[in-house]
Amino acid sequence: MSSIEYILIRDTSPAQSDGTKDFFTLILNKIVELGLQEKIHVVRAADIGLYNKGNVVKVLPQGVVYTHIVSEDISDLINAVKNNTVFEKKLYKDLSYKQHRLVLRNCGVINPESIDEYLDRGGYQGLRNALEKKPAEVIAEIKKSGLRGRGGAGFPTWLKWELTANQKSDQRFVICNGDEGDPGAYMDRSVMEGDPHSVVEGLSIAAYAIGATKGFFYIRAEYPLAVQRIKNAVQQATALGLHGNNILGTDFSLELEVRLGAGAFVCGEETSLIASIEGKRGTPRPRPPFPSVKGLWGKPTSINNVETLANVPVILHEGGGKFAKIGTEKGAGTKVFALTGKICNTGLIEVPMGITLREIVEDVGGGVLGGKKIKAIQTGGPSGGVIPAQFHDTPVDYENLGKLGSIMGSGGMIVLDEDDCVVDVAKFYMQFCVDESCGKCAPCRIGTYQMKDILAKITDGKAELEDLTRLQEIGTAMQKASLCGLGQTAANPVLSTIKYFLDEYKEHIVNKKCPARKCKNLMTYRIIPEKCKRCRVCVKNCPENAISGDRETGYIIDQQKCIKCGICFNVCKFDAVLGA
Amino acid sequence: MEKFTLSTLKNRKTSDQVPPTNYIRVGMSTCGIAAGADDVFAAITEEAEKRKMNMKILKCGCIGACYAEPLVEVAVEGMPIVYYGRVTRDTAIKILDKHISLKTIVQDYVFEGITGGSKS
Repeated sequence: MSSIEYILIRDTSPAQSDGTKDFFTLILNKIVELGLQEKIHVVRAADIGLYNKGNVVKVLPQGVVYTHIVSEDISDLINAVKNNTVFEKKLYKDLSYKQHRLVLRNCGVINPESIDEYLDRGGYQGLRNALEKKPAEVIAEIKKSGLRGRGGAGFPTWLKWELTANQKSDQRFVICNGDEGDPGAYMDRSVMEGDPHSVVEGLSIAAYAIGATKGFFYIRAEYPLAVQRIKNAVQQATALGLHGNNILGTDFSLELEVRLGAGAFVCGEETSLIASIEGKRGTPRPRPPFPSVKGLWGKPTSINNVETLANVPVILHEGGGKFAKIGTEKGAGTKVFALTGKICNTGLIEVPMGITLREIVEDVGGGVLGGKKIKAIQTGGPSGGVIPAQFHDTPVDYENLGKLGSIMGSGGMIVLDEDDCVVDVAKFYMQFCVDESCGKCAPCRIGTYQMKDILAKITDGKAELEDLTRLQEIGTAMQKASLCGLGQTAANPVLSTIKYFLDEYKEHIVNKKCPARKCKNLMTYRIIPEKCKRCRVCVKNCPENAISGDRETGYIIDQQKCIKCGICFNVCKFDAVLGA
Repeated sequence: MEKFTLSTLKNRKTSDQVPPTNYIRVGMSTCGIAAGADDVFAAITEEAEKRKMNMKILKCGCIGACYAEPLVEVAVEGMPIVYYGRVTRDTAIKILDKHISLKTIVQDYVFEGITGGSKS
């Protein structure tokens, strides 16, 4: 039987109307004309992985991709497919694979509830390699890899382990921080749900390296599936001698336990997390002493993020040197981002460090939704900042994002387009910090509240220009005086938006206008009599019955009743509703 | 169950593709389940049973393409591996009847360029 070639096709031009079906007909007609319909199957794809490249064709199993195909190309294309050759003229050569999957190597590939499938893919070989070394050699291997903490701050992992290991103590602890709380971020959840064994293996290696015999998973209770799969993974590992007493027949024993967090954002901060595991109220304490010196129940403790730990088995299995070659000099390896906001392909991506923000948005994310213009990218959640479009060619790593007033953070990445108001975004994050501030220290407790009030004044059109200075003063004070990371970074979204979008703030304050039409209290809607065709569609759709009048005299919006929902603006087909 | 030792684990075979062919895999992390993967998985299991199909039906975690969930990966011997996105109960049945029984790829639901870990 001769094999069948499959042609996947997709119209990727940004136009509103999708030309895939017309293109399909063209190709199919040609194939039928040549009598090849038994040998070449044409398939309309819902997504072909490329964007803004005209009619795209991918030939399977040959694997070649052609872009910008027009009707004149079809004969040549089909000939090439038939003869298994390449149609050079329209060949798409830039098939460089932008994603690099280390942490997500098994996510979406194996059954997370089966240890056999994990073992089939080289699982627990990293732990085996580690147990064949001395603990100090394991730390040296991590040092060679250049792995830095993926929770946000980027502290070198080997150093954290070494500091913990060097403390004289009868008992040490390891903790896996799975208290992921940034709005729009879910990297850790996906890893724990999709590949729980890699986290268990990573934590076991950490425990061996620092000499701990007891470890905790601290996972927020909102992640029931992650909790269930981690517990299941620990159980399965115990049954096979990969966890528990005398792991793999060696002297190393380890007991791992899952603790649930009640969903307090501040408990992602390490000292609060420790307090929470100890059964106390989840509030931070001043550092030093750092947890590596005095942590859980006063014993040396190493706390690592889920993603950091998921990297560890790869490093021990394949060697730190190989890992160090990925990414940049100061940021080795990859980073997982949760790409959300106004982007075509929302989802989880893993890219090597040093990739630019533009590549992430355009090539991996498929561009901005609806072909609109990108305004900025928010990274790092409530602790991060907003990076405007002119800096999107910056390579992503810890230092570069820091220079731009943002942070790498745990990996939330929210794409903002022209319809998003940066003041509104800053207000949203500040409200989040007000809700999540634990209240222990004054700069954070009072500062976040005051900043939120000022931002609300701005979006209500009641602010004055001095308020901008006030925001900056309070923000700087919070950065310097707050007890923990939450307060120290809470002002970042506001300060970075003031830095890059001062004009937009001024527009709100001076002209009482929101350029993105987001701040409802600055909007007024009005019907332009000359353009109004008296179709009544706005009248029918107004939820407050605020539009009155008749077909003779025309219609007006009662500003007292109007709730500024913008429905009339959106439903009017004649642009007769003015919103400004 | 027999416990591993350093040497038995070292000698355990690993393979890059698990399992090699004839499987249907449904993404069953929170994102998939929220989009209806539970229902799709149930539909595939029931209908494949009815049709007495020789296919392994498997679960997996999130492959990252949350915009395309529920995502179903289909590997039939002699055909390229295909990912179907935004699958509903109806599409799932179409996949069984067309892709698996007739070996023709279902139109309009293929998501090419989904990046599995095995491709890295």
